[in-house]
Amino acid sequence: MSENVNSDQDNASSVISINQLNKWYGDFHVLKDINLQVAKGERIVICGPSGSGKSTLIRCINRLEEFQRGSLIVDGVEMIEDVKNIEAIRREVGMVFQHFNLFPHLSILDNLTLGPIWVQKKPKAEAEATAMRYLERVKIPDQANKFPGQLSGGQQQRVAIARSLCINPKIMLFDEPTSALDPEMIKEVLDVMVELAEEGMTMLCVTHEMGFAKKVADRVIFMDAGEIVEQNTPKEFFDNPQVDRTQKFLEQILAH
Amino acid sequence: MSTKEFKPLPAQPAPVSTVGPVAWVRENLFSSKFNIIATILIVFALASVLPGTIDWLFISANWSGTTEAACVKDGACWVFIRAWSKQIFYGSYPSGELWRVNLCLFLLVVIIALSFILPARLRNRVAVPLFLLLPFISLVILNGRLIGLEYVSTDKWGGFSLDIMIAAASMIIAFPLSFLWALGRRSNMPFARSVSVTCIEFFRGTPILALFFMGSVMLPLFFPQGVTVDKLLRVWIILVLFMSAYMAEVFRSGFQAIPQGQYEAADSIGLGYWQKTMLIIFPQVVKISMPNILATFVMVFKNTVFLLVIAVPEMLQIVMTALSNSNWLGGHAAEGYLFVGFIFWICCFSMSMMADKIEKILDTDKRD
Repeated sequence: MSENVNSDQDNASSVISINQLNKWYGDFHVLKDINLQVAKGERIVICGPSGSGKSTLIRCINRLEEFQRGSLIVDGVEMIEDVKNIEAIRREVGMVFQHFNLFPHLSILDNLTLGPIWVQKKPKAEAEATAMRYLERVKIPDQANKFPGQLSGGQQQRVAIARSLCINPKIMLFDEPTSALDPEMIKEVLDVMVELAEEGMTMLCVTHEMGFAKKVADRVIFMDAGEIVEQNTPKEFFDNPQVDRTQKFLEQILAH
Repeated sequence: MSTKEFKPLPAQPAPVSTVGPVAWVRENLFSSKFNIIATILIVFALASVLPGTIDWLFISANWSGTTEAACVKDGACWVFIRAWSKQIFYGSYPSGELWRVNLCLFLLVVIIALSFILPARLRNRVAVPLFLLLPFISLVILNGRLIGLEYVSTDKWGGFSLDIMIAAASMIIAFPLSFLWALGRRSNMPFARSVSVTCIEFFRGTPILALFFMGSVMLPLFFPQGVTVDKLLRVWIILVLFMSAYMAEVFRSGFQAIPQGQYEAADSIGLGYWQKTMLIIFPQVVKISMPNILATFVMVFKNTVFLLVIAVPEMLQIVMTALSNSNWLGGHAAEGYLFVGFIFWICCFSMSMMADKIEKILDTDKRD
């Protein structure tokens, strides 16, 4: 595990390679000189105060946000204006959102098969079989024919995870996946994510669930004001934070 | 240590005084002093107006006969409507060929019924293409030349059937066109955006009467020598453009109601622009916009009576012609206009009922 932490300079084995990435919203400098190498199978948790740029950073990885300077290479494909590159990268990257973003006019099964059928051009029967397999993995195969509005928040988020997995991604991005959930539903979503982590999926996870970070993360990254302030193994990060800003942040969130 | 078991209380029925007809009357008619006075006044007003109206409309009305001479009683002369009913409904379409008009109307009804009956998947695959083809099929049937039937020129088409068909044909074409305009208005491409904005603002900012006059009087001036475009066709195009401008704005407000997350989710699973638009955004926009779309349908349907200003023989125009007919000079304007108003009201009211039904069907999927 600790090899990954120290492999930052080793670009060759990285599945995501971010170098000197800068992004502005108008005049506001939201990401400043971000450098990040993610190895295959690595599980990274990103935390930080709101407005620190953590969501923006992972949204750059599948081009939900554009950046103005620096480079970003995902699985050997460089992120540039070209639609072909963007589409190639999006095929490799799944994303789970804070507000689930299921398609409310489609049944759960149709939500899951949309990508495989229209993007990967798989036959319908095959796509549905795959979808059912993933629904079983997130433990709600019995909801396949319902609509998103009929499910609880936790169930919707598990469907959203299954939907991302259906396109068979190499990398999964999680953007505060439990922040919009009732306390009783957080666990069922985290359980699915832990399972996924144990199967070796490369994961980048913006979350404040520190229990999850301690349990599965290979590396915890702390961001503030658009910069990566500190990164380390969970044990070192929580027990022995190096920067004062990190110490203050941890005091705040671990106080209660 | 023993734990207590938590049992939710059972639900109880509502108190009797808040439900049932007596409660309704008390709640709605006699709930306050002002309400009681208003109720009494309205009852008096109805009592003084209704008997005379009913008498004129039904009891002393003249129902049978074929000429003005049959109208001997004091009440309404419905004989007038009867005598002119064929023209009022079909215009001057040849008597032997009326089945063609009926067939077109029948097809319209069948396709509307189909779109209600069919399950969602078939609806998109069967009813939608049929809808889009219907105006052109009807054109061929009514014109007749292409399929070896007697040729009927468009100046013979008319009456209420023309109101219905031209309104339906306009709606059907305006629907996809307005969606494209709304997309164009949101687009990042300067060309698409400026074309859409220009079209929408021009046709929305011009009165429909002015557009009809422009279409019938001015447009032909711009055509090259010898080229004539059928008047009804020009009117159709104008109605389509006018309606598209309104519906494009309806769609635009629908677009604004779609959360950004829907676009992002579609992007994240790798859908392309048109896949995202047609599979994710379009169905939701249509659903949100449905009440306003149907209101636009009703508006355009009613606007077809304005065709009379350029002498297209639609229903109102025919009634007005009949009123000045030398055999019917006894003053039947009230009957004529009442009838036109009543027919339009029936149709628009049914459209509202249908709109209600459509909204209920679309509401099966609840938004999160």
